[in-house]
Amino acid sequence: MNKETVSFRESIRRTFIRYSLVPVVAAAVVVLVIIGFSWTYSMAYLNQKDNRQTAEELTRIVNIYYQMVDDVEKSYVNNGYNVSKDETFKHIYTRCAEFGEIGNLIILSPDREVLFSSKNTVPFFLTGKQYSDWGIWYAIKENQGSTQTVLTEKSLCIGRGVYDGDTLKCAIVYIVPGDVISSMAGVKERFLAITDKNGWIYASNTKKLEDSYGKILDVYNKESGYIKQNNGLYYLCKSVTNKGLTIYTVDDMSHNIRIIMLLIGVIVFVFMGIVLITYRSTDKNSEKYTQDIKKIETAFEAVSNGDFNVSLNTDSSKEFKTIGSDFNEMLNGLKDQIEKNKELATNAAFSQLKQLESQLNPHFLFNTLDNIRFMAKIDAAKADKMIVSLSGILRYTIKDMRQEVPLFEDLDALQYYLNILQIRFNKRFKYEINVGDDIKECLIPKLLLQPILENAIKYGFEGREKLSVKIRGYQMADKLVFVCEDDGAGIDEERLTEIKESLDKDTNESNHYGLFNIHRRVKLMYKGDYGLSIDSKINEGCTVRIVLPKKLT
Amino acid sequence: MKKIIDIFKNHRAIFLLPAVTLLFAVLFSVYITLNTGEKAEPELVVVSPHPTAFIIPLIKEFENETGINTEVISLGTTASLKRITSDENVDVLWGGSILTVGPYEDYFDEYKCENKEYFKDKFAGTDDTITCFTLVPSVIMINNDIIGDIKITGYKDLLNEELKGHIAFADPKKSSSSFEHLVNMLYAMGEKDPEAGFEYVEKFIENLDGNLLDSSSAVYEGVANGEYMVGLTFEEAAVTMLKSDKHISIIYMDEGVVSTPDGIYINKASKHKETAKAFADFMTGQNAQQFIAANLGRRSVRKDVPESGLVIPYEDINSIEVDKDKVISCKDKWIENFSLLFKEVNNE
Repeated sequence: MNKETVSFRESIRRTFIRYSLVPVVAAAVVVLVIIGFSWTYSMAYLNQKDNRQTAEELTRIVNIYYQMVDDVEKSYVNNGYNVSKDETFKHIYTRCAEFGEIGNLIILSPDREVLFSSKNTVPFFLTGKQYSDWGIWYAIKENQGSTQTVLTEKSLCIGRGVYDGDTLKCAIVYIVPGDVISSMAGVKERFLAITDKNGWIYASNTKKLEDSYGKILDVYNKESGYIKQNNGLYYLCKSVTNKGLTIYTVDDMSHNIRIIMLLIGVIVFVFMGIVLITYRSTDKNSEKYTQDIKKIETAFEAVSNGDFNVSLNTDSSKEFKTIGSDFNEMLNGLKDQIEKNKELATNAAFSQLKQLESQLNPHFLFNTLDNIRFMAKIDAAKADKMIVSLSGILRYTIKDMRQEVPLFEDLDALQYYLNILQIRFNKRFKYEINVGDDIKECLIPKLLLQPILENAIKYGFEGREKLSVKIRGYQMADKLVFVCEDDGAGIDEERLTEIKESLDKDTNESNHYGLFNIHRRVKLMYKGDYGLSIDSKINEGCTVRIVLPKKLT
Repeated sequence: MKKIIDIFKNHRAIFLLPAVTLLFAVLFSVYITLNTGEKAEPELVVVSPHPTAFIIPLIKEFENETGINTEVISLGTTASLKRITSDENVDVLWGGSILTVGPYEDYFDEYKCENKEYFKDKFAGTDDTITCFTLVPSVIMINNDIIGDIKITGYKDLLNEELKGHIAFADPKKSSSSFEHLVNMLYAMGEKDPEAGFEYVEKFIENLDGNLLDSSSAVYEGVANGEYMVGLTFEEAAVTMLKSDKHISIIYMDEGVVSTPDGIYINKASKHKETAKAFADFMTGQNAQQFIAANLGRRSVRKDVPESGLVIPYEDINSIEVDKDKVISCKDKWIENFSLLFKEVNNE
C-alpha cells in the first residue's frame, strides 16, 4: 500500500477519529451483540421454564383427576361392583375442592347405560351406539387396567374401565371442566396450546398455532427450537406429559428481531451522524490544535526566504508559547547580529577604501619635489607650474571624503599629474587621452586613472628613451571601460604572473600596490563582474583595462 | 456525497460497524439454524375434497387408534387429483367419486382392502385400485326461508322462470359433485340415452342465467347463506348444513337419483404404503363406517352398518344406475359439451 506523507493536521484528525469513533463503534456493536444474544437466549430460557411449569401444573391437575377416578373405582369395587352415589360424590368433592367445579363424572355400564352422573347431562359420544368403539370407549376397551386421557369433540375425557377378570364391569369417565385447563392458557404472555398426543388442540390462547382442522400447525410438529414460518421467526418449546397431553409454548421472535433491527437501524443512523459530526469537528479541532504548528511552519518558511521581520505568536499551549517566544528572541538576536555584522563589514570596507585611495605614491612625491628643486634653478616658470600641479593633485586627494567623483573631475586631477610628468620627462613622454564626452558625467572611483598611468611610467621607461601612453574611456553596454596602453618595455612574465595572482586575492602580498589597490577598490565598491585586468608583452608594452558599472550622478 | 465517500475511503475503520453487524447477523442466523428443532415428518399424507367438518372427527380417531401422525390437505376434487398424480409425497386420495377418479386408475396402487368382504356387492366388485368409501347421492338443496311457494321435486322444476339466476351450480370441470349432477341429469332426463339429456341441460343452463360457481362448497354454502334459493349438491353436504341448523331441505330428484360411491385411492408412488393401507382399513372399518353413517350423513358401503338416521332410506329414493365405463369414457366429452352450451347460451 502506498503511504503518502500526510500533514500533521490530517494525522491529528485521523487520530481523533480513530480514538473517538472506533471505540464507540466497537462498544456499540459489542453491546448490540450481547443484547441480541442474551435477549434471544433469555427468551428461549423463559419459554422453556414457562413450558416446564405449565407441564408440571397440568400433570398435577390431571393426576388429581386420575386419583379421583381410582378412588371411584375402588369404592365401586368395594361395593360389590355397584355404584354408591354418596361415596362417589364424596370422592369427587374431595378431589375437586381446589378447582371450585366438580365437572362431570359418569359411570357407564358396558352397554353405555348411565349408572351415575355428577351432572344431569351425559354427552352423546358416551351413550351413542356408533361410539361403542370410538373415542374414549375405544381407549377404555383397548387399554385394560389403565386410565386414559382422550380428547373427544373438544372435551377432555379421563376414562378407565373397571374389569372383573376380563369382563368389563363399568366405565368411569370424567369430563374435565373446560375452565380448569383453559384458564391456564389464558394468562400466558406467549402463545400456548395444549393438545392431545396427536396434536389436536384442546386449549390454547391463540388461533395462530391452529390449522383449519383444529390441529396444531404442521410447522410446530417438531422438537423444541426455532421455527421459520410465514417470514416470521418463532421459538417453540414442547413437552409431552405422561398423561397423553402435549404442551406447546411459542414465542414470536419476529417482534424481537424487528426491535433489534430497529435498534441496529437507529444505531447505524446515529453513527452516520456521529461520523459526519466528528469528521467536521475533528476538522475544526485539528485545525485549532495544529494552528500553532502551521504558524511555526509559516515563520520558518519566511525566515528561510530571507524575511526576518516575522514574529511567532503561538499561545494555544504552554509549550507552544515557549517555542514562540524563544523563536522570536532567537530571531531578534539573529537580526541584531546580522545588523552588527553588516555595520562591521561596512566599516571595514570603508576604512580599507580610505586606506587604499590615500596611496599616493611617496616616490612620486619625492621625485616631483626633486624635479621642482632642479627646475627652480633652471626654469622658474616650469617650476612654478609643477608646484601648482602638485598642489592641485594634493588638493584633489584631500579635498573631500567622497569615494566616487564624476569622470571629468578625475580627468582634471589627472591633468595635473600629466603636467608634472610632461615637465619631468619633457619630450621623452607622450600621452593621448581619449574619453567620450558622453561619459564624462559618470561616477567613477576617485583617483582611478592616476595609478594606471603611474604603472605605465614605472615599467615603461625601463631601458627606454621614450614612452607614449594612450588612455581611452568608453561605454560598452551598461559598463564603462578604461583602457591604458603603452608602447614601453612591458612586464616580464614572472612579474606579470605575480601581479595577476595578487589581483585574485583579497589582500595584497606583493609590492604592486597601485594596480591591486584599484582592483580591490572596484571590487569593494561594486558587486558584480567588475575590476581590473592587465596584459603585457616584453618589449611591446602593457595594457591595463578597467571595467566599471555605468553610474550617473 | 463525494465528500461522504471520501470520508469512508479515508477512514476504513468506519466499515467496522456494518462489517461487525453483518457478522452478528450471520452468527445469529447460524445460531438459529443450529437451534431449529428437528421436524417430525408425517407418517401419512392425505389429500381430500371432503368438508373439514367431515374430516376432523375421522382423522382424530384414526390418529388416536393407530397413532399414525397424519397430515390432511384439503383441496377440491380436481385439484386433489392433480396433486396426488404429481406429488409422490401425497399417499392417499380420500374422496372423489369413482366416476371422476376412474380415468386416473393408472396412478393408484392395487389394494384389496381387508373389509371388502363386508362391502355391499356392488361396491365390492370394483377394481382393486379403488376402495369404495361411502355412497354419495346427488341431491337438490333448497333454502326454506327464501324459496317461497315454489315447489321443487326434481330436475324439471329447476326450469321454473322464477328460479332464473337463483340456482347454485358449480362448473363440472372444477367440481366433482357438479359432474355427478351433470351425469344424473343426462341419465334422468335423457330417458336411457344420456346424450339426449343435453336438451334438458341446455334449458337448465338458460335458467342459471350465467351463474357458474367455482367449487362444490360454494354451492351448499351459497344456498345455506341465502345467496341462492336452490343448489345442486351432494347429500352429505346438505346433511351437514342441516346438522348445523341451517334452514334447508333436501330434495331427491323424482326423475331419478344417481348414487356413485366415492373412494380411497393409494398413490402408486407412495412411500408410506403400510400406513396408507391402515388408513383404508380404518375408514372402511365397521367403527368408522358406523360413525360416518350415524354422525356425518353419509351412506355406508358396508352391509353390517345400519342406514344413517339422518337421511331417508336408500329404498325410498328413485335410484337409477349408470354405465360406469361409459361415464368414464365420456367424461371429458360431456364436460366439454356443457362448457360449449354454457358459452353458447351466454353468448360468450
